[in-house]
Amino acid sequence: MPATEYQGSFLGRISIRRNQIIAVDGNHELDLEDLELFQKHVSDRFSELLSPTDDVPVDTLLSISWLRKLLDVFLCCEAEFKAILLMGRDPSQISKPPLDRLIPEFLDRAVKALDLCNGVINGVESFRHCQKLAEIAVSALDQNPIRDGQARRAKKALNSLMSAMNLDDKEGSNTKTTERSWSFGRRGGNKDRPPGHFRSLSWQVAKNWSAAKQIQTMTTNLVAPRGGEASGLASPVYIMSVIMVFVMWALVAAIPCQERTGLATHFPVPKQFSWAHSIIGLQEKIGDEWKKKEKKGMAGLLEEMQKMEKLGQSLIEFTDSFQFPGETEKVEEAAAQVAELSETCRRMEEGLLPLQMQIREVFHRIVRSRTEFLDVLDQGGKSSAPLV
Amino acid sequence: MDECRSTIPTYEGDLHVVAAAHHIVKALGATNNLSDDLRKILIDLDAHLSMITSNIDSKGGRGFVDVEERLKQAERKIVSWESDPMMIWNSGPRESSEYLEAVDEIQTLIDGLRGLSVKENRKQEGILHQAASVLQMAMSRLEEELIHILVQHRQQFEPKHMSSRSTRRDVVYDDSFVSVEDEPAEETSSRNCSSDESGEYIVDLVHAHVIPDIKSIAKVMFTSDYGQEFCEAFIGVRKEALEQYFAILETGKLSIEDVLKMEWTSMSSEMNKWTWSMKIIFRIYLASEKRLCDQVLGDFISVNFCFLEISKATILCLLNFGEAIAMGPHQPEKLLRLLDMYETLADLLLDINTLFSEEAGSFVRLQFHELLERLGDSATAAFKAFGVAISSNGSFYPFPGGGVHPLNKYVMNYIRMFPEYCNTLNLLLKDQHADVANPVTEPEYGQNMSLSTSCPMACHLRSITSSLEFNLHKKSKLYKDEALRHIFLMNNIHYLVQKVKGSELRLFFGDEWIRKHNAKFQQHEMNYERATWSSVVSVLKDDNPGSSSMSKSTFKERCKGFNIAFEEVYKTQTSWCIPDPQLREDLRISTSLKVIHAYRTFLGRNPAHVDDKCVKYTVEDVEKLLLDLFEGSPRSLCNSRRW
Repeated sequence: MPATEYQGSFLGRISIRRNQIIAVDGNHELDLEDLELFQKHVSDRFSELLSPTDDVPVDTLLSISWLRKLLDVFLCCEAEFKAILLMGRDPSQISKPPLDRLIPEFLDRAVKALDLCNGVINGVESFRHCQKLAEIAVSALDQNPIRDGQARRAKKALNSLMSAMNLDDKEGSNTKTTERSWSFGRRGGNKDRPPGHFRSLSWQVAKNWSAAKQIQTMTTNLVAPRGGEASGLASPVYIMSVIMVFVMWALVAAIPCQERTGLATHFPVPKQFSWAHSIIGLQEKIGDEWKKKEKKGMAGLLEEMQKMEKLGQSLIEFTDSFQFPGETEKVEEAAAQVAELSETCRRMEEGLLPLQMQIREVFHRIVRSRTEFLDVLDQGGKSSAPLV
Repeated sequence: MDECRSTIPTYEGDLHVVAAAHHIVKALGATNNLSDDLRKILIDLDAHLSMITSNIDSKGGRGFVDVEERLKQAERKIVSWESDPMMIWNSGPRESSEYLEAVDEIQTLIDGLRGLSVKENRKQEGILHQAASVLQMAMSRLEEELIHILVQHRQQFEPKHMSSRSTRRDVVYDDSFVSVEDEPAEETSSRNCSSDESGEYIVDLVHAHVIPDIKSIAKVMFTSDYGQEFCEAFIGVRKEALEQYFAILETGKLSIEDVLKMEWTSMSSEMNKWTWSMKIIFRIYLASEKRLCDQVLGDFISVNFCFLEISKATILCLLNFGEAIAMGPHQPEKLLRLLDMYETLADLLLDINTLFSEEAGSFVRLQFHELLERLGDSATAAFKAFGVAISSNGSFYPFPGGGVHPLNKYVMNYIRMFPEYCNTLNLLLKDQHADVANPVTEPEYGQNMSLSTSCPMACHLRSITSSLEFNLHKKSKLYKDEALRHIFLMNNIHYLVQKVKGSELRLFFGDEWIRKHNAKFQQHEMNYERATWSSVVSVLKDDNPGSSSMSKSTFKERCKGFNIAFEEVYKTQTSWCIPDPQLREDLRISTSLKVIHAYRTFLGRNPAHVDDKCVKYTVEDVEKLLLDLFEGSPRSLCNSRRW
């Protein structure tokens, strides 16, 4: 992975320089050059995500491959951040004000991010069901000629797909209704219930847990460092916090997660920071998308799912009015859509598991860093305690 | 089945019978793990049947029903159920098998017609079209029936197959070091009982008697190429069933944030629940689920995908709780629960590897392997923290009465359970150095030490008790009274030795350790006697052993001295405490021997003065009074002249 190579060399360099500097000046807090470099890297990486340069294959915003790049960016920034903050540094430096307050706050955010990672991993699970339903539709319609029976089969699968997609975030309690309707042993009113509808997104955490609220609380005490602090270690902590909040926010926007009402509310990133420009740009783009979609219950902004929704809808229309042998023009149009849907399914088949694994990697990385920070805080706390 | 199709004749005349033959062959061919030989035999058989058929035909046997008529019949059957509110499989075996026959018939017709050169024949094309529509109707219906059967015949199994941990383990150890009193010594390890748990239990998650029904639905749906629909419906119901079962286990769905904020008592019980749920979910539920998948789907597809889909969400939930626990601060009180979690998972890894053996399951396998590592690290950290907590536990005031200090009780009762985790602790601690910098010198263990006394856990155990001893010595310095200091140390070291001797710990500490520590507390016993009674007895000593008796005034003075000294001892030491009755008894006996002997000699040598008022206590009185010492209830003799 190129990301890690890069990261490795960077870390090597930074640690060498740090050691030299420390040798000269024990009280040194933060090398300005390190901070500038970090800011530049953050800015470069995110601008790559916002508007990729020509030589890179374009990943549509919020597609699976784009999200994977986003996670890569997170991992790179995180590694660099940790290098700046921890490597070769005396623990006492980060256990004194204002870091003694900022780091624990940062770690609180990290814990919330962990829960969000879990929620999102679970959300990715729910995509698989959609993918399978779409695959049924594809295999039903990918025939020549299409018969009424197959058209109806596709329609049924697509209807299930639509209702699976349009599950409300809050609809974790879905199970009760289905239990009731099934226990009759008669095929009464639920005849129209598309099978598969019962497969709600099963949430993993307590009922009142809300992804949107988590993100909101992650930002509550997030304030840009001012004055002298701005050139100190408080700065990278702030930058990394913003990155973390942004990445989690983007994930939650793309992937279903428990209770996302109010997600559109921007968390403020001060415009004066040049490193933040691309993040703000991305935030605006995604925020606009979200506002467009928020009204309808939806599966999330994941590009593949959006495409699936669009194609599904139009194929439902096609199957609705379909009568064998169908108008040539419409059949051809449908065939193209089926091919596109099939391609989308393929991308999901290939991408979802790696995406899940990568979110898991982010999860583990955050856990590890948290432990390292706690250790350092612990050491710092001890060494700064007056010796008796 | 492609081979079968190739044998379909190209003229309509044979359609009926060959279709029947085809049907049989197809039924046999549905077993998809056929060997090539078997497949060939089936093809031969198919050819053979065709030959017989043509013989019958040539003899002018039964004619065949018109294809269109057969389709109509089957269609009537299928359509008639569309308006029926009853579920087919609830209406009786005849109804369901008739329905399946009708579906089969349609499938057969479709297969047959596909083999014909239909493109030229409008009528056949029309029939095929109609058949496909009816088939779709039937498949949709079968999906519903399937869901209904799966829901209706779901078996709720009670999680009683595995009893929860014995109550002994439910004692919550906390960081206060005070909450643990000695428990009745029901030493029979709960481990032995729980080893039964490792036996595999497979239960019917769906009533066994409907499995053939489900399979028959699976068969027609897969044969008709509706396998995807079948799988999605099956996965959906089974996934939900697992989630509901998981809810019954009351393993709360907790966020990491919740777990990190949790107070210890609830966390302890959640950790308990987790170990329990892990066993039930993996060993019983998922093993059973896998069997169900195999039973239902094994003939048609590789079941791993479905199985993974069904189980993944719940598994992630269990995984995340483990992660959250491993992340938390590693307080010493968590140690046993962490070890429980570690051992449970270590024990289950094989099951997990088997259940998720394929590539698709590598995610699950990997995550649990990593979790095991982290739980191991956490347990090790908690173990270290335990040692640190012992050495740093400080007191400002001397422990009243000189009895067994709560820290000692806590530590000894806690480590008494370690031998149960011996293998795990040895594994986890083997790279951890025992705290050699400990100020209390480790007894030299010679060449003759056995394996159990030299294992990593044994070394760490001894390191823990030496930290404990060191701390107890520190605490003993808080006593101003030297005698009480010795009582305190005697009590505590005696307690330590008793705990070691009375449990499996003795195997790890070894006889040498026990001998040395016996000697230690006996030393304190002697030191006590010297500190308390030497001065008292010395009062009675005859300065002039040559003369037969002392003067009255000397006698009186000595008597008075003895009385005062004895009353003083009585007053203070009745409030002291030796909780162990045997130890108390021993000390009294040896005290009596010393004091009574001296007193009796003293009185015996001066028979002339014995009636004097100054002899406040007879030998018998003193003997009796000595029994009041160390009972922990202060008494006084000063004002009561006689009782």
